[in-house]
Amino acid sequence: MTSTTYTLPVGPLHVALEEPMYFDIQVEGETVRSVELAAGHVHRGMEALAMQRNYFQNVTLTERVCSLCSNSHPCTYCMAVENLSGILVPQRAQYLRVIADEVKRIASHLFNVGIMAHLTGFDSLFMHAMEIREIMQDAKEGVYGNRMNLGQCIISGCRRDIDDSTGPFLLGQLELLKPQLDELYGVFERDPLIRTRTRGIGLLSFEAAKRHAVVGPVARASGVAYDVRRKAPYAVYPDLDFEVQTDTKGDVHSRALLRLREAVESVKIIKQCLRQMPEGPINIKAIPPIPPGEAVARSEAPRGELFYYLRSDGKDTPQRLKWRVPTYMNWEALQDMLANCQVADIALIVNSIDPCISCTER
Amino acid sequence: MTDILEAAFAILIFPGGLFALALGLFLKGTDRKVLARLQRRVGPPLYQPVLDIIKLMTKETLIPSTANEVAFRLAPVLGLTGVLVTAAVMPIGGVWSGVNGLGDLLILLYLLPIPAMGLMLAGGASSSPYGALGFSREMCLMFAYEMPLIASFLAVAVRVGGATGSLLSLPAIMDYQFQHGPLLFDPVMLPAALALILFIPGTMGSGLFDIPEAEPEVIEGPLLEYSGPLLAVFHLMSVVKLVVVLELAVALLCPNPLVAGGGAGVLANLAWHICKCLVLLMVSVTCFRAATGRLRLDQGFSFFVKYTSPLALVSLGLAFMLR
Repeated sequence: MTSTTYTLPVGPLHVALEEPMYFDIQVEGETVRSVELAAGHVHRGMEALAMQRNYFQNVTLTERVCSLCSNSHPCTYCMAVENLSGILVPQRAQYLRVIADEVKRIASHLFNVGIMAHLTGFDSLFMHAMEIREIMQDAKEGVYGNRMNLGQCIISGCRRDIDDSTGPFLLGQLELLKPQLDELYGVFERDPLIRTRTRGIGLLSFEAAKRHAVVGPVARASGVAYDVRRKAPYAVYPDLDFEVQTDTKGDVHSRALLRLREAVESVKIIKQCLRQMPEGPINIKAIPPIPPGEAVARSEAPRGELFYYLRSDGKDTPQRLKWRVPTYMNWEALQDMLANCQVADIALIVNSIDPCISCTER
Repeated sequence: MTDILEAAFAILIFPGGLFALALGLFLKGTDRKVLARLQRRVGPPLYQPVLDIIKLMTKETLIPSTANEVAFRLAPVLGLTGVLVTAAVMPIGGVWSGVNGLGDLLILLYLLPIPAMGLMLAGGASSSPYGALGFSREMCLMFAYEMPLIASFLAVAVRVGGATGSLLSLPAIMDYQFQHGPLLFDPVMLPAALALILFIPGTMGSGLFDIPEAEPEVIEGPLLEYSGPLLAVFHLMSVVKLVVVLELAVALLCPNPLVAGGGAGVLANLAWHICKCLVLLMVSVTCFRAATGRLRLDQGFSFFVKYTSPLALVSLGLAFMLR
């Protein structure tokens, strides 16, 4: 290192990061020359905990891996258990799971674009995005009784049904949300400040996206049309009509817009589910013993592909439970995105992969 | 002797000192409240800035072991003293015509950068890389916004001086406006007025130009390592600086009093002056901040070079031609 560069420590505690992570950044003036990522600050030993708890307790445990994708984790875990033991989830429960997942996806994406506005200093837009997100928070509280952890998934189905009172309420919230979401998209697309600050930074080319095997909105904004809901359909996604959103620009701006478009698609999905949902049970009362063996399950969490691996030796606790979260795949690509960027853009670029550190370190 | 007493009164009580502090805290509170309402928040009470200062005063001062302690302690005091002196030379139309011989645009050009220098000293002394970044950002931005400031000062001086040559004395500039009407409504001076209004958020670091102290980028840069009373002094410096730049713009653009004469008229004029400051605050700081975010340093710099400076230069050129 020459004397013109110096170390800028970003993290583990930093106002621009929602969660602890450490970036050792070599800076020359205002330009970033190299980035080293260090993780491990919020390791809670959850995989070890999962091996000491029985299959039912692990539903509660996995729900607490992270708050923003707190439905994807138990849902995917339950899918792995069901794959292993051959439990058939009732059709209505499949729809309910999709609804819970998509509600969480809308809230998660709105949170991310809101934070992006905050990082550009545009706090009015941040407040606006969070206010719109509040519609979804109300929906969650009204339908599931909680704003973050829905507690909806259990092995073999769902805990709560959407009935004649909560169904129309959820639909009403969506009707309220849709026009505001469209308006917000217009603001993010056209606002001169957002465009000036976020276009052309944090570039990730199609090739680089392939090389790093990034997932979720990060991949789709770089032109990789990879969405588990279409590539390896689960639950009732094959019966639903929605489009996988992609973009080719691969910068911070396109990722934010892509998330907003996905939120609009999610509204569409929930509406279809509410319409198509068949009558019937929402779970199975008697669950068979979990046989020895191994199984995997994957799903599309708001941040990308979530992967669960489960091995059982026939006891009531898993022999091994391992999961791979989307952020794990995406944060290596940060090295590419942060190369030669400005100090002012570091936070924006890191936020654009929507990092979930507590998922990744668990 | 009376001169010294008069100057001491001006610096410590009115229009600098206590008056400037009280007005500044009031303006700051209004700014926060209105911004909150614009963002559909409830917002803090009007006296919140006072509470903040009281709280900070009771806190411990922590100084990083690697910092240069003398410079670290000196920086906020230097900045606050600088702005208090500047506030003392600001004339208020119909109330106060300034300390004799001090209200001069040339002197202001030296006094106005003092708070920024205080911040730079703080950033340099704190030995934190964020402080250093804040230092360099503050300096870059200062170069950018001083240029249109000087150009609009000159435009005003040339316009007011007319054929007799340029006039740099603030009281004389105000006298001219009392006779010929506010410069704000002078079509020749309109571009320079706009440049001056854009200078305010630039120097206050709000909206597009919240670059040196950007919270998510450099964690308040120079202020990062400050705590307790020293931080409170920086906050006070910032509120008095707000008063200074607003009063300067009012004096240059629209200092005309509400009523003539003394007695109760002085109070009315003072209230009128505060109203003008409030309106300017709303336009150039609060609404500006609510409607925009922050530019990158290079974008902020080129904003001043590309848009603000030419505006002031247009006025200067026109004023020269119409002498």
